[in-house]
Amino acid sequence: MELSYWWILPLAAAAVAISAWLYRRRRPPQTRPIAHGDRLTDLPEYQHALRRYRLRLLVAVMLGAVFLAATATAAARPILRTTEQPESRNRDIVLCLDVSGSMTSTDAAITTVFQELAKEFDGERIGMVIFDSSSVQLFPLTDDYDYAAEQLAEAKEALDSGTGSFFDGTWNGAGSSLIGDGLASCVQSFPDDAGAADAERSRSVVLATDNFLSGEPIFSLEEAAALAADKKVKVYALNPSDIDYGNQPDEPGAQLRAAAERTEGAYFTVDSAEAVPGIVGKVQDTEATSYRAAPQAVAADVPDWPLGIALLAGTGMLVLGWRLES
Amino acid sequence: MPSLLRRVKSKMFIFAHRRTLTLLDGEYGSVFKGRSLDFDELRAYVPGDEVRDIDWKATARHGSPLVKRYVAVRRHSVLLLVDTGRTMAAKALSGESKKDIAVQAAGVLGYLACRHGDDVGLLHGNETTTRYLPPRSGEEQLERLLQELDASVALDGPASSLAEQLDYVLRYLNGRLLVVAVADEFMPDARTEGLMRRLRARHEVLWLTVRDANLTPVKEKGVTNSKDVGTGQGIPAPLAASSKIQAAYEAAMVERGEHRSSLFRRLGIAEEQTSGSADVLPAVFALLEKHRSGAPTARGTAGGGNRAG
Repeated sequence: MELSYWWILPLAAAAVAISAWLYRRRRPPQTRPIAHGDRLTDLPEYQHALRRYRLRLLVAVMLGAVFLAATATAAARPILRTTEQPESRNRDIVLCLDVSGSMTSTDAAITTVFQELAKEFDGERIGMVIFDSSSVQLFPLTDDYDYAAEQLAEAKEALDSGTGSFFDGTWNGAGSSLIGDGLASCVQSFPDDAGAADAERSRSVVLATDNFLSGEPIFSLEEAAALAADKKVKVYALNPSDIDYGNQPDEPGAQLRAAAERTEGAYFTVDSAEAVPGIVGKVQDTEATSYRAAPQAVAADVPDWPLGIALLAGTGMLVLGWRLES
Repeated sequence: MPSLLRRVKSKMFIFAHRRTLTLLDGEYGSVFKGRSLDFDELRAYVPGDEVRDIDWKATARHGSPLVKRYVAVRRHSVLLLVDTGRTMAAKALSGESKKDIAVQAAGVLGYLACRHGDDVGLLHGNETTTRYLPPRSGEEQLERLLQELDASVALDGPASSLAEQLDYVLRYLNGRLLVVAVADEFMPDARTEGLMRRLRARHEVLWLTVRDANLTPVKEKGVTNSKDVGTGQGIPAPLAASSKIQAAYEAAMVERGEHRSSLFRRLGIAEEQTSGSADVLPAVFALLEKHRSGAPTARGTAGGGNRAG
């Protein structure tokens, strides 16, 4: 418990002292000079009443002092300073889904999970990019969660059926599953670092792909990963079909893992669509731990006690004043 | 400096008719019971004259009452014995300063004495000092006395102690005097009572009490706190206005009044009370009347002489 404006207290004390001094210096109030006051003051009734009167005055003075002290304390803004380590809620997540035929079930699972997550988001931004031979930005980074959820629902439906206009624009290039290009366009969908306000935001890409490349991408996976690392984007790769033969580094799964770890992200193999929520949870958890904000002091006003005491003292003074008047 | 005597006179004439004034003259003249044997003249009876001064034979001859007048053996001396301590600066029952009422009372009696050609002196003082101005005749003397009286009472002056002044009279003043004491409603202690008894034995004593302020004023706007000039103790107005205290105060005041009047009765001193300057004239009249018709006076042989007229 400390006071934010501690200097109010000496100020209030000085004000009280000055008014006390002025009170002492004021012209004595008009009194009626009388003689032989013992005619009245010797009466036991008077003495009894005088004692009660003095007691009330004393209580009134004490209440006044308490009232002044309490209001001065309240004016000095007592605060409770606590150290908090708030979980960073300013993440940017881009879902980067490979919509080649082999991936649709995993994609559907991921969209389902994020559809649920979007309902609980507060401060995060989410965007979605699908790619096959060319990439399409389904929706950019947004904190309009209703819109995001709507888009995710549509995506899920389309992914479940595997047909429809949803996939339009993803076959414009030659080949399919140009993962490097897809990841690069996902990384590009983060705004440039120039914006100082965004500098603090963490960036992650949830990349769902099996890394079965067919065709000639403009960006190789390594180049895309380098781009991501350059823009401080962490890549969390979800691979539903990690069927590497051995531990060769040029196998698709190993490549993907290397790319993800290069960006300080992580690599997960997804055995079934049901495992996706757990994996996304893990991703969220790693994000949460790695993006805990620096401990910061939080000052909360706690005027309850001084104001409550002032209220009681003020009420007491009113009652006493009424009793003294009557 | 405005003339205090003129003020006294104008108040007298406001509050009294001419008839009353004549009556007062008669009453004043009868204070001195002494008679010389030197017959002077007969004059018409004026209400207030002693009935025993009426010359019944002459009255029968004349058809209307006639009073005998005697040649005065000597002039009387009236001594105004006034308390000029701090308590006299306080408020009287009427709300005026007790000092003003004391000045008014001293002025009325002094003026009566002046009209009779008597000498008027003043003895006043407080706890620390006692001042004596020997009796002299004339309105200038009376004016001077009143001015002195007016100037010596102050709220920050020394406390009252009438015993000192009584002691002074008994110790230093010889000859029979008409002592007119003007004081407030103090309660004489044993010493003062003894001095009063001795004073009563040696002089004619008239005692005019200026009544003190009511300490429990009825609660209304503008009632301020009271402060005892003697002890400096304050009396908060809300406290004094409480009905329970008022009732107790009334009872205590009645008891005190009875105590005081029984004291004066026991001492054989004629005492009358005045509550304001409007009340002074009737009080003086009643006082003179009381003194005349009161208990037999311890008159000395030196105090003879009748100046009725």
